[in-house]
Amino acid sequence: MSDKKDPRKTFGEALAEAGEKNSRVMAISADSSSGSQMTMFKNKFPERHLEFGIMEPGITGICAGLATTGKIPVFATIAPFVTGRNFDQMKVDLGYMKQNVKVVGRCAGLSYYHLGPTHQSLEDVALMRTIPGMTILNPGDPVEIKAATLAMIEHVGPVFMKIGSDPMPVLFDESKYKFQLGKGITMKEGSDITIIGTGTVLCRAAEAADILEKEGVSVRLINIHTIKPLDNELILKAAEETGKIVTVEEHYTNGGLGGAVAELLAQNCPTEMRMIGVNDQFGSNGPYDELIGLYGLLGPQIADTCRKFLAKGKCSCCGG
Amino acid sequence: MYKLTDAEELELKKRAVQLRKNVLAIIKAGDAGHIGGALSATELMTALYYKVLKNIDPKNPKREDRDRFLMSAGHKCLIVYAVLAELGFFSKDLFSTYFKLNSKLPGHPDMHKLPGIESNTGSLGHGLPIAVGMAVGLNIDKSSSKVYVIMGDGELGEGTNWEAAAAASHHKTDNLVVMVDRNKFQLGGKTNDVMNFEPLADKWKAFGWSTRSIDGHNLKEIVDTLTDAPFEKGKPSLIICNTLKAKGISFLQDTAASHYWKVSPEQVVQAEKELDAVAKELGA
Ligand SMILES: Cc1ncc(C[n+]2csc(CCOP(=O)(O)OP(=O)(O)O)c2C)c(N)n1
Ligand SMILES: [Mg+2]
Repeated sequence: MSDKKDPRKTFGEALAEAGEKNSRVMAISADSSSGSQMTMFKNKFPERHLEFGIMEPGITGICAGLATTGKIPVFATIAPFVTGRNFDQMKVDLGYMKQNVKVVGRCAGLSYYHLGPTHQSLEDVALMRTIPGMTILNPGDPVEIKAATLAMIEHVGPVFMKIGSDPMPVLFDESKYKFQLGKGITMKEGSDITIIGTGTVLCRAAEAADILEKEGVSVRLINIHTIKPLDNELILKAAEETGKIVTVEEHYTNGGLGGAVAELLAQNCPTEMRMIGVNDQFGSNGPYDELIGLYGLLGPQIADTCRKFLAKGKCSCCGG
Repeated sequence: MYKLTDAEELELKKRAVQLRKNVLAIIKAGDAGHIGGALSATELMTALYYKVLKNIDPKNPKREDRDRFLMSAGHKCLIVYAVLAELGFFSKDLFSTYFKLNSKLPGHPDMHKLPGIESNTGSLGHGLPIAVGMAVGLNIDKSSSKVYVIMGDGELGEGTNWEAAAAASHHKTDNLVVMVDRNKFQLGGKTNDVMNFEPLADKWKAFGWSTRSIDGHNLKEIVDTLTDAPFEKGKPSLIICNTLKAKGISFLQDTAASHYWKVSPEQVVQAEKELDAVAKELGA
């Protein structure tokens, strides 16, 4: 893994680039323009940057109104306040009204590690998944964040994208990388087990796959950057070919990526699964790596969960 | 109305310096913290906990006849931790756990982690509605307890506050006293640039509140005013408290940057020196 980048900064650079390409793009702030890395956009296009202060539900409605006049508002702030706090506006003004607004939840998951549950967002994907027509993006490295930001602005319709704040390692080669909305990426072929990772913890899933590979396990590693619409084909194929599916996400184990995959498999190809994430409890607080370690999200912990999963049903003395 | 004597005022000033020192001690244990809003509210908290709030008892934090205090802007919780520890609700040993895994002192307060905390704030715009519910409930029970709230001035942007403002006057909650910590800064800069809510007093008046405006660092004025509430029978009371963000630390005071301070060891030493000098001057 190469150098790490601040996901918010990467988003900010991509936003400024999108603003360059399309004069209808606007950056919308809820008292967090610099924290959401919109400063670069603001400096370039001051008239297309609007500040509204701390009123997220109202701002979401304002974005819908702006969209009716042909603008493409990109509203970015702390993740729980643009998913939970404003849920009715997301559902009605963006979803039901089908408005072309892009909402970015930053510092998502546990990345506001010491600020506690009010600032952590472990339910954002679960909430957004219930809104018909809402696209959900959860990019897994800086290259993908940039591509996802540009793609979300090109796509017509409401989009929710989540990004963390902990520096992210670069996993993809920018010169070869291609982002296709709704299409997962097989990062490694394998036949014993499939790990499906997303967003901030894709790198942890990749680390687990490397650990297991060295032990002789053939791991398929899939990156799901678009949680909705889900790449059904890719996931069903993996279920058929490898059996055993493990999902890895910085989110509750209910309602997120794991939930989406389970719903798909249960109805089309019942497959045993393990879901790694936070299990029905409010997040605690502490240093980021220690915190995600509480929920089994570190690479070696994911590998361990996979090992136990693979060993299940095998004879404890001979492994047969 | 309760008039502080000069001797009492001096006593409270000493307490206020000690609370500022506690805030600094907590932040020092981590590497950052919301210091600006904690220090602008220090005199308000000093007056509340040492002169105004009734039946606050560290041995029985849930005493039924206690007055309630809610820090609606939960990120200002370091000053809450500072005063509760000083009063013996919990040990100051906990300060050193700030930023550590599973600390009972997270960046926003959790009523299930610490005694003396009345609500889990942090998401702005929650404190006032909860306080209105408490005030209405206490009135139904014919309780003489009052409910006190500190809000941030940036926080006023949240619509829930204005919903609660209407509800409070509709239900005649004259047992509710709200202080707006008018430090004139929010996260992104000056409140009047980010989202202007002036004329503030007129807005609250229009919602049916009785309002006053004070110097939020003047202990005599704070105690006078708080102990004079309700200002009008049948109406909730709103006090605009003019303050300075990060009051008491020269290089942070009255700056936007003081909102969330990433500490450097040298700056901590300098801040400690400044607070020590004030304490010495007061004879503490
Ligand atoms: C609903 C919500 N939106 C955004 C935030 C992020 N945030 C934390 S503090 C703050 C600024 C608050 O300013 P103010 O209320 O004036 O507080 P003070 O100046 O006293 O620190 C913001 C935007 C939040 N905590 N809750
Ligand atoms: Mg303020």
